Amino acid sequence: MKAFKIGMPVFLIIVSIVCFIGAIRLPKANLGDPYGPLYFPIGISVLLFIFGIVYFFQEIKRINKSNNKITELFTGRTPKLIGVTIILGIGYTLIFESLGFLIASILFLGALLFVVNGIKNWKTNIIVALAFSFISWYAFSELLGVSLP
Amino acid sequence: MGMDTFMEGLLTSLEPINIMWIIIGGFLGTIVGMLPGLGPATAVAVLIPVTFGMEPVSALILMAAIYYGAMYGGSRSSILLNTPGDGSAIAATFDGYPMAQKGQAGQAMAISAVASFIGGVIAVIGFILLAKPLADFALKFGPAEYFLLMLLTLSAIVSLSMGKMVKGFISMLLGLLLSTVGIDTQSGVYRFTFGIPHLSEGIDFLIVIIGIYAIGEVLYNFLTIDEIKKEKKKVGKIWFSKKQWKRSKWPILRSGPLGFIIGVLPGAGGSIASMISYTTEKQISKKPEEFGEGAVEGLAAPESANNAASVGAMIPLLTMGIPGSGTTAVMLGALIMLGIRPGPLLFENDPEMVWTLVNSMFIGNIALIIINILLVGLLVKILDTPAKVLYPIILLLAFIGTYTLSYSAIDFFLLLIFGYFGLLMKVMDFPIAPLVLAIIVGADMEQNFRMAILSSNGSLGVFFATPIAIGLIVLTLLSLFYPLIVKKIQKRKLSKP
Repeated sequence: MKAFKIGMPVFLIIVSIVCFIGAIRLPKANLGDPYGPLYFPIGISVLLFIFGIVYFFQEIKRINKSNNKITELFTGRTPKLIGVTIILGIGYTLIFESLGFLIASILFLGALLFVVNGIKNWKTNIIVALAFSFISWYAFSELLGVSLP
Repeated sequence: MGMDTFMEGLLTSLEPINIMWIIIGGFLGTIVGMLPGLGPATAVAVLIPVTFGMEPVSALILMAAIYYGAMYGGSRSSILLNTPGDGSAIAATFDGYPMAQKGQAGQAMAISAVASFIGGVIAVIGFILLAKPLADFALKFGPAEYFLLMLLTLSAIVSLSMGKMVKGFISMLLGLLLSTVGIDTQSGVYRFTFGIPHLSEGIDFLIVIIGIYAIGEVLYNFLTIDEIKKEKKKVGKIWFSKKQWKRSKWPILRSGPLGFIIGVLPGAGGSIASMISYTTEKQISKKPEEFGEGAVEGLAAPESANNAASVGAMIPLLTMGIPGSGTTAVMLGALIMLGIRPGPLLFENDPEMVWTLVNSMFIGNIALIIINILLVGLLVKILDTPAKVLYPIILLLAFIGTYTLSYSAIDFFLLLIFGYFGLLMKVMDFPIAPLVLAIIVGADMEQNFRMAILSSNGSLGVFFATPIAIGLIVLTLLSLFYPLIVKKIQKRKLSKP
């Protein structure tokens, strides 16, 4: 948990440094103020660096204080649920255009329901996956005129 | 405002198609708002795609109906499950849930619906009186004033993230940083695109919003998804007694205007409005000891206030194009996507649209009271639908919404990244609203800043040149030091014997 707590401010400090370097290396503008595109990114990254440092020391101060939410993130089936949701999301992205909206959505929603709602409720999972995918396809594609693959 | 534009607005909002959107929006908003952990911002974010292909005015009506429908819905789960839909429904748990435990859930839901209705109506009247003068005033703003107004909004929303200001600032800075990605519109310079062509047009803030509010919230709710479901109490009678009304009417009437004013202020929103009205009523009550034990006025007052605040928050959004809260920021994003640019010119160029919206709010509040009272049984049944089924559906809706933004599945990767990032922010206790607000106003803020500097040949004096600018700077400083002032006052109070 300690690494997690410190990780966030360290990440933010790194982001601010990367953005600062990226900002000062930006090309100058040919129109108007040549430094115009630089002001905001430089200002933001400097402020982010300062607040990142303050946040780092705040976290160091309360390093031993427990945060239930961080604990919950790594207990029970939470990490599995989050991990699988993201993996299924990536899978959905990859099959969305090739398989088309309807089939991809049935597979994605069905798999997600089996993971979240459990295998025991397989009937509900299948019915919801089929019904909701079809209803949303009909509503968006036919009623709202959204072009779906 | 001419009476004719008001009447035109009334007639447009009474068109059957628009009444239908009001009812659908109110109902959908109520359902999403009822889900524990999901509030109005998520409701609007998830339901954005429903507005595709619609007439802008109908889309605006639908969006607003979803918004205040979700405000109504949030309190349903507060009363029945002691689990608020979002921050603004927290106060409804204090006395609403004890009422439900006493077998008065139906009465609690009825009084909360009536209080929300009255609060909403008071606020709509306030809107009619205040919006046009404010829009006229906003016409006097130049780039420097707009920049300072956005700065004030951001500082207000950060300073209201009580006890976590540093995280609030970081959240805001990340939002501003994200807003700089893409081609700089003034110079054509590519910024932070890392050679990825997809990023040259910048990161669509709606993807960030849907990612954080829909995916992030659902992932966050996975943390507690297996917790034992709270027992739901019997609904009982679905109308309140004369005695309960007598105790509630003045708190409702007092909290409406209070909530409205708080809603208009940048940064403040339904959560603060409902808390302030609750503590105010408790302080002036003859029976403060009954608060928290199921005092009906302890439920009615915050319900009136938070609904009034939700209407009040539409004023800075529509008159100046500045959202004052996370939810109105999401709405602004959706409006821009629909081609509606809120701001003072909206009142000049399209007054009918504004007054149609205002009238639709009146009608919407009536529709919601009917939905919430007559359909109480149905709503309670919906609350029985397991979250384990609803959350995957919300995830799918988030993907559909994202696809319809640019018709490209590549955006799903960004959606997942921001969803995961939203989860981390919630876990690490970062306020989300400053990030969302900053990513929406960021680009405008930068352009106004640079235009102001350009018009003054590089002098920063332009930001102190007018009384409005100075007033805005003073308000920004006040908002930044507000938490420190409050702390000092509290310390002094405590140190007094």
